[in-house]
Amino acid sequence: MSTLRARSPVSYLLALPAALWMLAALIVPTIFIVWVSFWATRTFSLASPLALINYAKFFSRSTYVKLLVDTVQQSLLLMAITLVLGYCIAYFIVVKVRRPQLQLWLFLLLVVPFWTSALIRTIAWIPFLGVTGVINQALLFLGVVDQPVSAFLYSLTGITLAQVSFYTLLATGPVAYTLRNVPPSLREAAQCLKATPLHVFWRITFPLTLPGVVIGQILVFLNVMADFATASAIGGNKYAFLGNLVILLYDSGQLPFASVIAVLLMLCMLGGVAVLLKMVDIRRLGVA
Amino acid sequence: MAEHDLELKHVTKRFGTFVAVNDLSLVVEPGQFICLLGPSGCGKTTTLRLIAGLEEADAGEIRIAGARVNATPPWQRDIAMMFQDFALFPHMTVERQVGFGLEMLKRRKDEIRRRVREILTTFEIAPLAARKPDTLSGGQRQRVALARALITEPRILLLDEPIGSLDFSLREAVMLELKDVQRRLGISFVWVTHDQNEAFSLGDRVVVMNHARIEQVGRPEEIFERPRTRFVATFVQGHNVLDGAVESVEGEQVRVRTPVGGFVVPARELPPPPPGTTVSFSVRAELLTERPGPEHGNRVRATCHAVEYLGSVRRYDLRLPDGRSVKYEQFAAAAARIAEGAEVTLGWRPDEGVLHLPADGRT
Repeated sequence: MSTLRARSPVSYLLALPAALWMLAALIVPTIFIVWVSFWATRTFSLASPLALINYAKFFSRSTYVKLLVDTVQQSLLLMAITLVLGYCIAYFIVVKVRRPQLQLWLFLLLVVPFWTSALIRTIAWIPFLGVTGVINQALLFLGVVDQPVSAFLYSLTGITLAQVSFYTLLATGPVAYTLRNVPPSLREAAQCLKATPLHVFWRITFPLTLPGVVIGQILVFLNVMADFATASAIGGNKYAFLGNLVILLYDSGQLPFASVIAVLLMLCMLGGVAVLLKMVDIRRLGVA
Repeated sequence: MAEHDLELKHVTKRFGTFVAVNDLSLVVEPGQFICLLGPSGCGKTTTLRLIAGLEEADAGEIRIAGARVNATPPWQRDIAMMFQDFALFPHMTVERQVGFGLEMLKRRKDEIRRRVREILTTFEIAPLAARKPDTLSGGQRQRVALARALITEPRILLLDEPIGSLDFSLREAVMLELKDVQRRLGISFVWVTHDQNEAFSLGDRVVVMNHARIEQVGRPEEIFERPRTRFVATFVQGHNVLDGAVESVEGEQVRVRTPVGGFVVPARELPPPPPGTTVSFSVRAELLTERPGPEHGNRVRATCHAVEYLGSVRRYDLRLPDGRSVKYEQFAAAAARIAEGAEVTLGWRPDEGVLHLPADGRT
């Protein structure tokens, strides 16, 4: 079937199963959530009117709006940290480590935690962060502090630490991929054209890996925006993001209001991705 | 100008246990066109990278314009380099690309713009200024790479197989153009190639390398007419190499016994090796004759195996009694031709052979 032309009837037919699946699993539920968010009453009947009352309720309470701002802020913070950290790790593994064998091992080291369940990874942080946890024991042993620091567990610091550890890989992978596609001869050519290593990085290496950077940032952004498990396990009940609020409202049966927040979350994500994609043409990924 | 443009003194480079460049010494005078010629893996590209500063020498000294540069990074050396794949920056327009070197040297914006325009005009690529590399043809890329390398007016331009990736039909024209550029600018070129035609038609001097060492340095004619080692004679096309042992020394000539007969070979500047020494010598394909006269003292029987017609010459592939192949080139206009399968006597004058350095007496 190598002669299959795009937009021929056959090609549409072949795309049908996937399209149906997308429709059932993604499009219909999304439409449904949007619809529910306009319900004016808590329980549904076809006669009940649609209204903006739920949205009005969200924006009239500053606690809810602050939660939205906090969530976006946390995402931006995580993006900034994982960008620098992820890029450094990718650069080290791809450019500085020359032996392919060692490269592979380092990469596995990075990926293996990602294969374990998110729940286990989250819970695993608790013995690290607690008052009698590994970090505090180490700090006490080294004499950096004379009393255990309680700010790690059940705090934003703890949540951020855990999220950085979960999501750095997402920022590292795409960068490593694009970095590998930059021929070393480009860096060498730049050096022979009087560019210092710093100039080589900012003028050659970084621009050529920008698609990888942006894709990594999109992945981190979407994951942090949607992350509720880390906040509830490590933040205790003291910290919450929009995702936590959705769960809370869902559990208490306030479906329309939960949908409002879900819709707002989706809009933020779409907006963020749109902004990031404006920055670079990711279809150029791997074109070096 | 008393100082050399470039001087390598006993330079050695190892990668692990592999010796890529072994005790290499070489001098390049201002304005010289030097070709490093050798098979792949002989160390010619590593030598070039050592000069550029992209590799660090393990031993020896590298001097550019008299100053030792062993510890100088590439961006501070007075060189430019053209890479085999041109290494154009895919995200920069031709204009940006060519101006990159000046930008790194912190030249003023208007100066950069003016000089880029000048050099683009010189290389006839001004209309491409706004294009990106992936929209350029091979020949255009090559010109952009050259303009980019030359704009900083380096003392030495290093070229790593600069026309190897071009279409065959383009190569000759590009070769002549590069030679012309080199003459006009008067800067030194160090050109790495595995193609002897490139090396011989371009180089003021040719450096033949093998196994990390220099086999011979000389003008193209010297390399071609007097290959110093057995390797040079086999690597450079057009030579017939024979192996044997010295039978006797007669003044400046030696008599060499080979499986296909005895031959007289001049020792020339070499001290004649004592009888019994294992030696090799070569004689050029076009110096043979199939109708030897009294002056052609060296003779050998051969059977014609194949004939190649190359326009102005006819090249015969003949077989000696021991099965070895011998090449013989004859002007195509010559009256007598050798038919395939015919047996002939090939002869050459005793002073036409070239005795090689003994295998252990490397430079």
